[in-house]
Amino acid sequence: MRNRLFIAMLLGAMLASPAMARIKLAALPVRERVEIQLDNPNFTLVEEERIVPLLKSGGKTGNNMIDFSWSNTAIEKDTIQFRPIAIRQGGQFRPIDEVSLPDGSTTNEVTVINVAYPPNENALVWEVYAAEACAVKVRVSYLIQNLRRSFSYRALAEKDEKSLVLRKYIHLHNYSGEEFGMAGVWAGFGPKFNKPLEQQTEIKMLLAKFNDVPVEKTFTFDWYAHGKLNADKPYASKILMHYKLINDEAHELGQFPMQPGKVRIFIEDGRGGEAFLGEDWAGLVPLDEEMLLYLGEARDIVCTRTIQRNDRTVIRGNLFDQDVIVRYEIENFRDKPATIRVVEQLNRLAQEKGGWDVRRGDVEWEQGPKSTDNFKFDFDLGGATPTLLIDLPPRPKDQSEEVETITVEFHVAFKNLW
Amino acid sequence: MKRTAIIILSVLLAAPLSAKNVDLVTLPKRDTVQLTIYNSADITLAKETRYVTLKAGANQLQFSWANTLIDPTSVVIRPLDHKDEIEIVDTIFPGQKPQHLIWNIESEFEGQVAMEVSYFTSGLTWKMDYVGITDPDETTMGFRGYVRVFNSSGEEYDNAEIRLIVGTINLVEKIADLARRRGIPVPRKATREHERMRREVYADSVAAAEAMPSAGAPAAPKPIVKEGLSEYFMFSVGGTETIPNNWSKRMKAIDASDVPFDVVYRMRAHQYGPRPMRWFVWANDEEHKLGDSPMPNGLVSLFRDNGQDGLTFLGRQLVRYTPITDDIEINLGPDDLVVYETKRMSVVRREFTFQTRHGKEYVIGWDEQAKWVDTVRNYRTKPITFELRRRWPGDVEYASEMPTTLFDVHTIEATFTVDARDKVEYPATVLIHHADRSKQNRIKLKTPQPDRE
Repeated sequence: MRNRLFIAMLLGAMLASPAMARIKLAALPVRERVEIQLDNPNFTLVEEERIVPLLKSGGKTGNNMIDFSWSNTAIEKDTIQFRPIAIRQGGQFRPIDEVSLPDGSTTNEVTVINVAYPPNENALVWEVYAAEACAVKVRVSYLIQNLRRSFSYRALAEKDEKSLVLRKYIHLHNYSGEEFGMAGVWAGFGPKFNKPLEQQTEIKMLLAKFNDVPVEKTFTFDWYAHGKLNADKPYASKILMHYKLINDEAHELGQFPMQPGKVRIFIEDGRGGEAFLGEDWAGLVPLDEEMLLYLGEARDIVCTRTIQRNDRTVIRGNLFDQDVIVRYEIENFRDKPATIRVVEQLNRLAQEKGGWDVRRGDVEWEQGPKSTDNFKFDFDLGGATPTLLIDLPPRPKDQSEEVETITVEFHVAFKNLW
Repeated sequence: MKRTAIIILSVLLAAPLSAKNVDLVTLPKRDTVQLTIYNSADITLAKETRYVTLKAGANQLQFSWANTLIDPTSVVIRPLDHKDEIEIVDTIFPGQKPQHLIWNIESEFEGQVAMEVSYFTSGLTWKMDYVGITDPDETTMGFRGYVRVFNSSGEEYDNAEIRLIVGTINLVEKIADLARRRGIPVPRKATREHERMRREVYADSVAAAEAMPSAGAPAAPKPIVKEGLSEYFMFSVGGTETIPNNWSKRMKAIDASDVPFDVVYRMRAHQYGPRPMRWFVWANDEEHKLGDSPMPNGLVSLFRDNGQDGLTFLGRQLVRYTPITDDIEINLGPDDLVVYETKRMSVVRREFTFQTRHGKEYVIGWDEQAKWVDTVRNYRTKPITFELRRRWPGDVEYASEMPTTLFDVHTIEATFTVDARDKVEYPATVLIHHADRSKQNRIKLKTPQPDRE
């Protein structure tokens, strides 16, 4: 028995009409079962079952009046549904049958006749017909506010950062004003679980654990997105680190879409402990899609970008071609090799060097012959935003040797600018 | 007995659902504490171990804190023993009891178990600072780096293992905000009781220090072990440290003698203004007696031994993170003994283009050729290396008799040596195509041509 019950269902003989002074003599059918459906991120559906004793309709008592009221609880009144689902007979529940009425028509043994809404009250009254006195199992469902769920993740990477263990947690936040005893909770995927949800309480539970999830670590340089690094290094820019996971079975995931939530990333420190690497918000990751987690800035890779050629060739009038060579000089001070992803936004480059109006659309370009051959293209951001994949050797083990500066020149021949 | 001012871990022996407001608890003490402190954000990963006694079946552990900025969502418990027999079922945050949580634990084991509790807290920070003292000739220096740990977390941490993380991590929410999120007022100032506990902790630590064996030499500075972890570096302070609330502690992390360095003058008006800047340049590598870890951001104070049993202050600058083997560059500002000036010696305009309007001709384009001479005077008693970078926007043809390269399409670059008490002149001929004559937007380097009249 709960200490406080905010949602009450009263059964009684309503001697007056529902809109009049509502003096009630009532029994209080308790909840037999509660199901909370959290599959919809915006709406929480509560379904509760109660055993309601009904009197036989007709005669002096008329139909049964079932009063449902609540206080301090944000139930959306228009969403409340009442469904008789079974009749108890001989200790067992059986389906509700049809019965014949005196006028020859048929109806269910237990049927909701109408619903009345008393003014200025958080309540409603169902008028229910019962062919015989019986105990009927009814299911009342409604949407309730301030009872919600959220998700969070905890990733623990191996020290070599090749794989990680991903834990997914569900957080149940019950600020609805109502408390639910042992409620069945379904998050929209995975098994249903039973959990008492007290008022003003949050519960955190492990939902799933994925072991040995392969992870790829990426380093990204994007001059136009991040600008200069600082006043001392005006030609360098940030290099952002990400972990990339793929939500499919080949990558030890793929059981269900990953709901949005905060991901906290830790790494094993090689001594039985762990250290915190950073955190990021993960968006919804459908099956087979990538989860890209931003870790922070890599400061042991330094990449500078300068323009080494900017030549214009007039074709006619104000129509011209523009030849641009972008030079990247990259030093890897890490003791491990790396592949850096250098994003070049050619629309912005053409705007800066050739006055291209980006509202006209993507710029026309081709690679010029002066490009070096030490990079590969990736066009996952589109044709006008090529990504240069550049392999970097680790720093020499012998510190008397200089760190190799990898020089990449990207020769862009812009066509038909004006 | 040392009392933890903030954190109490309680074992509820009562049945979970009965007598909710009357708890019978035991208070297990901390066995060990480890603090991993980050300097790029106000976040510390605290990890402590405590021994608790579990019974077979359902158990509840209660964890509460007050006056401490702990992110409740970060608190995690795990058994260190009997891991296969103990399951953490869930974590409950009761709304009626702020700064408080309860773990439901199912145990097949009965008896004492070591449990590890970890959480993020706020208010512990660290920073680095450096001191360099050069010899009178400014050729080598003694270079020391210090870490300083600050505790304003509201909690007393005694005998804690300290680990400091060098690197920039990403946080999507501030820990202090998370700690306050549930509308919980967190007093920032110590209460009288808190202050009493603080004094007690301090007295305990002093007593512990005094109780150390006094024989032999004074305790040596604690070593700081440096190791890489992902893209970060971790400095682990040897042994344990006690850092009472609102105290800070400074420890030596780098100690290098006879570190050679170069002195370079850089003239980059577009970056540093109209005067050349004096730089000390060396590297974070073995040749310079360093290189066992990256150098975290920190304030560098540089002094020179003035040869008269005293020091001269040279300058102070915030040095940014320096990877292993990368250069360390300290800008000491302008030097009155090195003077740079630039003069335009002559101008010639030609190649005019015209537009005719209403029967009259108007100039709409021209070329302008100027001769420039940059002069660097070195009044010092040692030769200097001078690096010149100068921007020339527009459609420019550039020629100099001295070795010159393009840093980028708008910037020339030249490096030369200026002998002691001497000067160097750097001449250049700069042809700029103006207005209608401007067809490009870049410098074209040319070889010097004979003068044209």
